[in-house]
Amino acid sequence: MDTVREHLKTVLVDKFEVPADKVTLQARLTDLDLDSLAVVELYLTLQEHWNIPLDDGDANNELTVDDVARTVDGLLGADTAGHDAGPGTEQTAGPGAGPGPAHA
Amino acid sequence: MRDAIVVTGVGLVTPGGIGREATWQAVCAGRSVAGLDPELDGLPVPLSCRVPGFDAHALPSVRQAWRYDRSTRLLLAAAHEALEHAGLVPDDWDPARVALVTGSAAGGIDTLERTYRAFLKSGATAVSPHALTAFLPNLSAAGHLALDLGLTGPSLHTSTACASGATAVITACGLLDSDGCDIALAGGTDAMVTPLCAAAFAKMGALSRRTEDPSAASRPFDQDRDGFVLGEGAALLVLERAAHARARGARPLAVVAGHSSTSDAHHAVAPDPQGRGLRAAVDGALRRAGATVADVDHVNAHGTSTPLNDRAEALVIRAMFAGRPPTVTAAKGVLGHTMGAAGAIEAALTVLSIHRETVPPTANFHKPDADTEGIDLVTAAPHRQRIGLALSHSLGFGGHNTVLALAKP
Repeated sequence: MDTVREHLKTVLVDKFEVPADKVTLQARLTDLDLDSLAVVELYLTLQEHWNIPLDDGDANNELTVDDVARTVDGLLGADTAGHDAGPGTEQTAGPGAGPGPAHA
Repeated sequence: MRDAIVVTGVGLVTPGGIGREATWQAVCAGRSVAGLDPELDGLPVPLSCRVPGFDAHALPSVRQAWRYDRSTRLLLAAAHEALEHAGLVPDDWDPARVALVTGSAAGGIDTLERTYRAFLKSGATAVSPHALTAFLPNLSAAGHLALDLGLTGPSLHTSTACASGATAVITACGLLDSDGCDIALAGGTDAMVTPLCAAAFAKMGALSRRTEDPSAASRPFDQDRDGFVLGEGAALLVLERAAHARARGARPLAVVAGHSSTSDAHHAVAPDPQGRGLRAAVDGALRRAGATVADVDHVNAHGTSTPLNDRAEALVIRAMFAGRPPTVTAAKGVLGHTMGAAGAIEAALTVLSIHRETVPPTANFHKPDADTEGIDLVTAAPHRQRIGLALSHSLGFGGHNTVLALAKP
């Protein structure tokens, strides 16, 4: 599993208290007991961590874990440095990247 | 005739420790837990009394901790301990017959402040969708706890500043008296150790400025008192009619023999200098209990360590109990001022004093001044005492006075 997916799993387990064995790439967020507010919170968490303009208007709990990861991949420029770039690096974020450094 | 209301369980999460026993040991040790607070660094008064080592994520009783304000996490932990103490299992009760009344001064203000800081820094994108569900005072306490426990009876939130927890207990008694429920869970919580609250209380002159000696800062009724120490915490009490407790084989720890609430109509934050509102509340609670001042063995005072509160409260105690002075203690010497939680924490401690026949000492009291002399304050060490009837005073900004009369079963 790449960095984005590893981090996503960590967030789901550590912050959202999802049992680790339930977190698969195919799992839908609703099946992980994330309601609509929790999904927006997840997007906010990822937005801050990766410093990307993740649009929570697209967030819904029918998405799978992999759907979310692919959206993050896209914003990080996945095919170049994205997966291994680590959090909060302005250089790897695309144009219009989020406001200010992550973890501020 | 009204059936007596009994307390069958208490849960405590306080600056003295997580849980009833940790808190009891801390107050009996009589040493203040106040200290310098790194999160308040740079503010005029960087002192606080925080719940030590509180990590809700590590507590099995607090699920979905990430959704909640710190005040809610404290309350959930206290609630689960209280239910266990009372021998209640949520699966076994009729959830429609369980009421829940909570109190706090400031709801989820910690969340509100953090969210606003993020908003100012990064704009609307940084605002959590849980900002309001964590902050709204009703949700931050009664709402989330009812959800957590699956309660479908009446649930509501009260706010009378630092009397909120006691007001919750009184309101819950009303629900039991009117047969609105069989069991009432009542308590208070607050997590107001925040930069904004600390700055605002300092500006009002309410906080002790003894920053060079934090553990001596909270000193109720002492001549050198100069304000309170900002604290956090939660307590929950399980209340039920005596017959209900008897029927399920629960052991009553204390009886809520009487209670009363009054308002000063004097000043927004200063107590009536003569303590007239408090005096009327003591009268009302004793009348409802069918008791007189001569029956009162012990008073768990509000005792904030501010010059004005302790002066008015000592005046009332001295004047009302002139013939047979009760023992007096003030838990805020050890725990600091836990705001809306204080009334519930001190009600729970009074219940434990009755049950364990022990009055904890008041920390940092060395010498009274002319205003606070003449009351029988327990100091230095726990005092063994059989208590037939005790009063717990709670006063709040806004001129709220509440008195609970708690009796041995």
